[in-house]
Amino acid sequence: MTGRHSINAVNLHAGYGTEDIVKSVSCSFAEGTFTGIIGPNGSGKTTLLRVFSRVIPSSGFLELNGKAVIDYTPAELGMALGFVPQDEGRPFSYTVMQVVLMARYARTSRFAALTPDDYTRCHRALAETGVTHLADRSIRTLSGGEWQRVLIARALAQDTKLLLLDEPTSHLDLSHQSDVLCLMRRLAGSGSTIIGVFHDLNLAALFCDRLIMINDGKVVADDTPAQVLTPEKIREIYGADVITSVHPATGRIFLMPLATTTGSITPDKLPNVLVISGGGSGTDLLHFLSRKGYTLTAGILATTDTDYLTAKALGIPCIAVLPFSQIPAHSLEKLRSMLSRADRIILSSHPVGSGNLPVLTVLRETDPTRIIIHVPEGRNFPSYDFAKGSAAAVLIDLCAAGAQCTSSFNGILELLDTTPHKTQQPPE
Amino acid sequence: MTVAAVLTIVLCTFIGPAGFGFVSTAPGAADIVGGIRLPRVLAAFFVGASLAIAGAAMQALFKNPMADPYILGTSSGGALGASLAIVFLGGFFVPIFAWIGAVVAILIVWSIAGRRGVISVETLLLTGIAVSFFFSAIVSFLIAIAGQNVHQIIFWLMGGFWNTSPSDAILSACILVPAGALLFFMGRDLNALSLGEETAAHLGIDATRARWAVLGGSTLLVAGAVSIAGSIGFIGLVTPHIVRMLLGPDNRVVIPVCILAGGILLVISDTLARTFFSDLPVGIITAFIGAPFFIWLIHQRGMAT
Repeated sequence: MTGRHSINAVNLHAGYGTEDIVKSVSCSFAEGTFTGIIGPNGSGKTTLLRVFSRVIPSSGFLELNGKAVIDYTPAELGMALGFVPQDEGRPFSYTVMQVVLMARYARTSRFAALTPDDYTRCHRALAETGVTHLADRSIRTLSGGEWQRVLIARALAQDTKLLLLDEPTSHLDLSHQSDVLCLMRRLAGSGSTIIGVFHDLNLAALFCDRLIMINDGKVVADDTPAQVLTPEKIREIYGADVITSVHPATGRIFLMPLATTTGSITPDKLPNVLVISGGGSGTDLLHFLSRKGYTLTAGILATTDTDYLTAKALGIPCIAVLPFSQIPAHSLEKLRSMLSRADRIILSSHPVGSGNLPVLTVLRETDPTRIIIHVPEGRNFPSYDFAKGSAAAVLIDLCAAGAQCTSSFNGILELLDTTPHKTQQPPE
Repeated sequence: MTVAAVLTIVLCTFIGPAGFGFVSTAPGAADIVGGIRLPRVLAAFFVGASLAIAGAAMQALFKNPMADPYILGTSSGGALGASLAIVFLGGFFVPIFAWIGAVVAILIVWSIAGRRGVISVETLLLTGIAVSFFFSAIVSFLIAIAGQNVHQIIFWLMGGFWNTSPSDAILSACILVPAGALLFFMGRDLNALSLGEETAAHLGIDATRARWAVLGGSTLLVAGAVSIAGSIGFIGLVTPHIVRMLLGPDNRVVIPVCILAGGILLVISDTLARTFFSDLPVGIITAFIGAPFFIWLIHQRGMAT
């Protein structure tokens, strides 16, 4: 980085009517950097980009390449920044080359013809975005992705140090996405300043040096991708649950979305449910109940257990223990307090050996009518018993004392709907 | 193309209901050819050229190939002015009133659309349509109360060159030359504007100034045409389409070619009207020939321009 700033913005306000869409935004963009602007729909990303390109007037101070933007003539602006819109109407059948040549208008007098140099530059731009073969095609016959690459080529042919891109990859397939963004990286490497609006957070994280997160017209985070894209921040701003990890090949942060816990059902009407599972037996059940909007807690789980990962991913509180070790006394204490706070307890059948037998023992202390035992079709208690019969004995006792059994998730829902009462024979 | 235009003008000057050949010694022949036909042919040429380039410019500005030069209310404004003159002034000052009506209509559209500082072309378009309907309603009212003048108003509405004087031809040339040059040199601005005002701004075009220049130039052209010949339909809509179908949409080509093509089309139409149809309003001929030709062209090319 040379330390020079391509854009320097202080306290920008802008909007379309009386209401501001961009609110007191201050930021600057160093030469040779690739910055992503991210944020939820309607947060003001595109508006901010158009404020930078001067098509939307703003209050506040805005400087391009060290010169106040109001001192630019339109033609000077056309030589200072290139802009790639999300899409552009195509009412007339210009050829691709005609559209790209328009990039050179700013550099040519209206009374002069374009020079061979202009044509050379435009041909190079077509080659850079891989649309050389389309040069003589009518723009009305192009696919959305081809048209987007033509628009990028036109901005490149403007030969500007500053490029503003509004979702430049929204219409592109996987390979063209990475081609275009690699090109932008290379341009940034050779001193251009690239600013792009992105919806795909993973692409932004992969290619950008810096991310600016916008919400409700204000900058809410401005840092490296790893610093900006935390699950907490994403949940706060996008209202979505994600898990983040470091990409093994690129070393960049990446996100995985999870099903949101905010369903249409109001959670407070549904009982609090404690799910006791293990060995992956609870994964589907936790997802299922989470989707239905139940407030869940999960019983004692080893940190290597799939159920543990599921609980973490869904943000379900659980008691974690080390794998292959005795369950410590304080964890059993926690389980007791969870049991007392839960309205219902679901025991998802899972292998029980001497290690996790204490969990069942604790379960015996509670009111058995609150317990629902999930036993898949065709299985019985002894098939889960690896504790020489003690586990099966506990389960049979529980059933005798009023715990209810079911073999399906819908059965669980029905039982959760009813108030606990004594029923049913356990499967032998 | 230029040769074709000159040839058309010359040929059409020597064709007419009086049936003169190229060389005639009949008494009064020189008067008819030089004093009546030549001004009429020239006026038709200039009016056709004006309508065609104004149409091309409006289509680019409004990013809409269906726009015509009257879209901002010029023709209904002109019609209102002319109708007022016909009904209340016994048919005097019709051209002047038509011109005033056309310009007033545009000014009303601009001021309504521009009230909030920034105007979008969409607002301008919708306002133009609204004002057009309003003015047309007044014209319809005038027709209803016009009595024996009804014929005159309806003929004026269809457009024609019955009363063309040499001064009309000179006047239309005086408007066409500067306004045509303006639009010609704004060809690239029109190209950029036809992809959107923001795009034009991003390409280094002064989009706001370009828009006003295009609107100003087109208004002068159309108001002039309306005041001389009433509102002649189809020339301004179809000519740019034909030119674009043949030569592509680059306005640096479309504008100059439209001058010639629009002129030729209207001169031929007017010659047909006065020679074979006992001076029917030329607007009927342009629509009658223009519409099927246009449909045939669309069918041939299988797509819009």
